[in-house]
Amino acid sequence: MDTLTGVEHLAEPDGFRDFVEARSSALLRSGWLLTGDWPSAEDLVQTALAAAWPRWASLRRQDAPELYVRKIMVNTFLRWRQRRWNGEIATGRLPETQAYGDVFAQVDARQSLLAALDRLPARQRAVVVLRYFADQTESQTAEAMGCSVGAVKSHASKALARLRHAPGLAELMTGEVAS
Amino acid sequence: MNTEEQQLADVLHRVTPEPPRRVTVEQVAYRLVSESSGPRPGRGSRAGREPRPRRGGPGLSRAWAPALAAAAVVVIAGASAGVAVLASSHNSPSPSGGASASSSVSSAPVSSSPSGTQSPAQQTTPATAIVGGPWGAELIDRQAFTQGSLVSGDGSLYAYGTGTLDRIDPATGAIAATARYNPPLPNPPVIVGNTVWVVWSNSGGNVVLHGYNAQTLAPASSVLVPATGRVSASASNVLSSGPDGHLYVAAGVSVVVINPDNGQQIRRIYLTAGPANSVAVSPDGGTLYAGLAPASGGFKLLVYNLASDTVVDESALPDTDSAGNLVATSGGVWGTTGVGMSEWTWFAPGADLTRAVRIGEGAGAGFASLPSYSGGVVWVGGSHTLTCASPADGRILDTATLPTDHQVVEYFSSPAVVGGHAYSSYQDNAAQLSGLVRMTPPAACSGLNS
Repeated sequence: MDTLTGVEHLAEPDGFRDFVEARSSALLRSGWLLTGDWPSAEDLVQTALAAAWPRWASLRRQDAPELYVRKIMVNTFLRWRQRRWNGEIATGRLPETQAYGDVFAQVDARQSLLAALDRLPARQRAVVVLRYFADQTESQTAEAMGCSVGAVKSHASKALARLRHAPGLAELMTGEVAS
Repeated sequence: MNTEEQQLADVLHRVTPEPPRRVTVEQVAYRLVSESSGPRPGRGSRAGREPRPRRGGPGLSRAWAPALAAAAVVVIAGASAGVAVLASSHNSPSPSGGASASSSVSSAPVSSSPSGTQSPAQQTTPATAIVGGPWGAELIDRQAFTQGSLVSGDGSLYAYGTGTLDRIDPATGAIAATARYNPPLPNPPVIVGNTVWVVWSNSGGNVVLHGYNAQTLAPASSVLVPATGRVSASASNVLSSGPDGHLYVAAGVSVVVINPDNGQQIRRIYLTAGPANSVAVSPDGGTLYAGLAPASGGFKLLVYNLASDTVVDESALPDTDSAGNLVATSGGVWGTTGVGMSEWTWFAPGADLTRAVRIGEGAGAGFASLPSYSGGVVWVGGSHTLTCASPADGRILDTATLPTDHQVVEYFSSPAVVGGHAYSSYQDNAAQLSGLVRMTPPAACSGLNS
């Protein structure tokens, strides 16, 4: 077992580094969809991974570390929103870097996507990210959010109804704007 | 999943960018240790690092805490690379995370294809003298341009047409290049190097800037600037540039400094007084001016010393419906204020609004009287007078009375200077005539005596 420091107390769990290296990009993208900016997304992912660290051996035995990490991410996100931390100043937000090629379209599409997600209540947003970005099943989503499958279906249905009329997003979904 | 759900999933996967950097095990270890042993060492106090709100996590059980706390120093030393990344993460340039190769589409609400640079019609109009016009005014082109959008740079004029950003040949008044664009707020184009920057959108939590090649107006780059909080509802001139070549963007309760070469944020300046509705930078680059229009009314001007990172002064205009459109010169700050349908320009010596004086006679009938700084002097147009003034002290150098046509006002926008001529956007409502005017101002307005 590798350690970060040689101090046994903080021994790095087996497989933890491989997981972080392999999955941090996907987790960060989920965090970006939930929070709308990279620093908050990093905060969310680091929080979830720090929570998973001491339970890692157990999570690996259950073959479910990613589900657990996503569960922590979603619940932390919901708690932030519940405590109105979303009203705090999220500092150090990096602007989107320049995109070349179709230079405007990418930034515009992201702007439309984030604006559309901002219209959703927190739980609907979480369902959208878990179901349609993280590709979790309805039952996995329900487990992560601590609610029933019926509630997940209801949140998803309401979210889709709102997103259907979000400016810009509908065109992205139907492909009416040239890709 | 049904078709709609599949489409949403496809959009989420396609549009969500790759992160600018990954999370590392060292960062997680650092968090694990610091959250179990109280506030993170130095969090928010490192030189050059912006403070961030502390957000709670699930934390660790009590059994872990003492051991981890004891190990904290060793961990930080052992994982120094990771910690260094963490410490500098919000100020260090990040690799291009937004340049995903995935295909993307434009969702621009007005222009569905902003990249469409159009071939301009090569048209020239015989110059027509304007009877009673100031300084030998002659109409050289009959394109209509948005008030307050005319600027000059590198021998060209730029202005917003009807749904377009146009480059204008000052010799003929003809449109030399054009791109589709609809300004979301009053903010003239900002020219930095070979790029013309405009505010593409300014709403909710983001400001989006688009950059165009200064010659061809082909799309060059795009930057999404997340706002701190929500952007101001009464914004004007939220985009400005400094002598350092950087872009300064009012983005909610902060002003973000952007390197236009790579789109990276250089710094974010927080304004505790509220969301900024207008920004300007002094010609020496040392001072940032931010205008605020509180919901309670009035207008506040903050003076921010960029070197010492402190607000050094603030003053207010208490009785105004709207104010903004800041322009900075060596002697102070210029801006606008208005009540009802009338608007005029003020100059605040030393950026002190309590000493502000009115410049020019302003504009009525819905026209805007905005200051422009071009050719070494400050210009103030409107529907009554056209004035040039000293950037050092606001002293009026010359004023021309504008003609009226059958008692209906004629409008001259604040000029932009190219090659010794001053160009203005002109409108004569009675004659239903509009276009670009070329004038030869007196020597007093040459900028040599100011």
